[in-house]
Amino acid sequence: MGGKNKTVRYSAKKRNEAWWGYLMVFPTILGLIVLNIIPIFQTIYQSFFKTGDFGKGNIFIGLENYIDLIHDSSVWQAVWNTIRYTLVEVPISIVIALLLAVLLNRKMKCRVAFRTIYFLPMIAAPAAVAMVWRWLYNSQFGLLNHILGIFGLGPVNWISDPKIAIYSVAVVGIWSVIGYNMVLFLAGLQEIPKDYYEAARIDGANAVQQFFSVTIPLLSPTLFFVLVTRLIAALQVFDVIYMMMDLSNPALEETQSLVYLFYNYSFIEGNKGYGSTIVILLLMIIMVITLFQNYLEKKWVHYN
Amino acid sequence: MKKRLISWTLLSAMLVALVGCGQNATEQNTDNADASSNGSDDVITVAMWDSPQEPGFTQILEKFTEETGIETRIEVTPWDQYWTMLEAAATGGSMPDVFIMHSNEIAKYAENDMLLDLSDYIAQSDKIDMSKYPQDIVSLYQNEDGAQLGIPKDIDTVALWYNKTMFDEAGLAYPDDTWTWEDVAEAAQKLTKDDGSQYGFAVSPDNDQGGYYNIIYDYGGYVLSDDQQTSGFDQPGTIEGLTVLMDMEKNGYMPPYTTLVENGDCTLFMSGQVAMTLQGSWKVNDLTNNDYVKENCDVVIKPMGPNNVRTTIYNGVAWAAPSNSSDPETAWKVIEYLGSQEAQQMQSDLGVMMSAWEGTSDNWINAHPEFNLQAYLDVMDDTMVIFPHSRRTVNWANMIKEEIGAGFTGEMTPEETCQNIADQMNQILKETN
Repeated sequence: MGGKNKTVRYSAKKRNEAWWGYLMVFPTILGLIVLNIIPIFQTIYQSFFKTGDFGKGNIFIGLENYIDLIHDSSVWQAVWNTIRYTLVEVPISIVIALLLAVLLNRKMKCRVAFRTIYFLPMIAAPAAVAMVWRWLYNSQFGLLNHILGIFGLGPVNWISDPKIAIYSVAVVGIWSVIGYNMVLFLAGLQEIPKDYYEAARIDGANAVQQFFSVTIPLLSPTLFFVLVTRLIAALQVFDVIYMMMDLSNPALEETQSLVYLFYNYSFIEGNKGYGSTIVILLLMIIMVITLFQNYLEKKWVHYN
Repeated sequence: MKKRLISWTLLSAMLVALVGCGQNATEQNTDNADASSNGSDDVITVAMWDSPQEPGFTQILEKFTEETGIETRIEVTPWDQYWTMLEAAATGGSMPDVFIMHSNEIAKYAENDMLLDLSDYIAQSDKIDMSKYPQDIVSLYQNEDGAQLGIPKDIDTVALWYNKTMFDEAGLAYPDDTWTWEDVAEAAQKLTKDDGSQYGFAVSPDNDQGGYYNIIYDYGGYVLSDDQQTSGFDQPGTIEGLTVLMDMEKNGYMPPYTTLVENGDCTLFMSGQVAMTLQGSWKVNDLTNNDYVKENCDVVIKPMGPNNVRTTIYNGVAWAAPSNSSDPETAWKVIEYLGSQEAQQMQSDLGVMMSAWEGTSDNWINAHPEFNLQAYLDVMDDTMVIFPHSRRTVNWANMIKEEIGAGFTGEMTPEETCQNIADQMNQILKETN
């Protein structure tokens, strides 16, 4: 962008187009500003206060919330929980969704039916999904332990054993998001011209070689998009944990995510200042990871 | 590059902000409904959290509409979201026209003048007589200046539920009014089967008001000092009472801890997994509508502590209106009716809840004659302790539910568990009072 000294002249037609363009995006921009941009600054502002009830009587306390945050072991445990969840959910859901997308991109019987079935979890309300899984995982009456029992195994405390509860939660996350990722991959796959595969076949590449040498590089923009958005979404995991973990659950400490802590402080205990501080920490984490991904983008993503 | 950086920053920031907005989105539906009713149309919204009570109150409010011509609409929000909804609504200035207030939350709303002062209306009313309600409940809903901010709706107490079939099978006599907690523990042992299909007793770690708080007071301990400044978890009585409960868990007379927390004591009782449980009267609708419970179970007055002290924690919620109500007169008419002897009589006649108005609860037990619900009324002749509350009850009450488990699992001794809770609770009380 070294064009500082050059004056760019736009034709009247171009200017007209630009004007219409701005007009078209105006409603979205307005929504962004009112619903997102302003709240971000309010959140940052609030994190320097000991907040009163109903938004009244806030007391400025400087960096005290941040100092508390640094010394709060439950916050760092929550950071670790969130990262563990993300590290399990994102790669596994992407790999499974990619394989399914490749399989369902071929001509086969009941293709539409399969695509619909895999997409269905996206339609179900997260709270309902969590409740159903909660029953599947139930240590005493759950279907999973019942099946394990037939083989003489278990019972496993899926959601109340501190060592495995976060992974049980991640499985629900994977199950919920596969369909969404799959649809995006399918769209990406259909963008790839058939000629490349033909050429690869003529050169003697088998299906696996075609997958790694043609499909993956040409799908990389879609892969990148899915990876970035899924990472951000996974770092914000909340509803599954909120619905599946009770206060007295012995695994809560090892399962609660940053957003769960934020919700607890802001909306249950009425400490919105500290809640805001937690969410700022999450913002920092997401920003660092996303910038790093953006840096890596050049190394592996091919835009034709 | 710079542009891209900005757009990425905005994208990630936006998604974080969405987290905050997402929570509010669920509440917005009810808020919008409230806003519209505050405005043009004249339907009064009545907010509550307990859906089993909705059919009863639909009938009561229909009668009210018949008498006055004022239309009402009930909005039920589950307990967990009710307070988030109400707080958001209060912050935004669009609370429901009439809603239920709880002792856990009243201090916050009273301090910030969020609730309509009903004192003058009460003085002029011929339907409301504050001396007819339990005085502890009346004073719960007063602010520091003595202004009355809520009209008592109901009262709840605690009783012991037991499985007759299991007692018969074990050849034991049913529990009666002579039972102490030692008798319970003894019976629990005999009612427990080795194969894990049946346990003697259950009180889960989140059953405080209907469960272990009562045992604490039976043993002469307390949860919170009278001046609401210090925790009573380090008191010998508190530790002794909780030790009885934790020993039952340790000895295997209660279901394993994970089963207990994943299912809850009431569900385990209703599915025939445990022989006895302590339950508050607000659970009666769930219990009496369960077919298994109908066939096999009954209820009896709760057991006593070692010195023949029988305590029940009791509490009562209240009807309230927002201080910025657009039509306080009409809101008051609804509250006045709901608090009147007539409506309170209906509330108990319909089996909704025990009512706060003196002498109106006797018919409540007739709604389910197959159960000895008299147990919930009889216990009122013994020691009644108002549900412990302070300025920020939820903050320490939730902490107790999280921390008490260590004593159940044996991770800590009962003494250590209680000391840990006492320390944390004192800290929270210091920060929030």
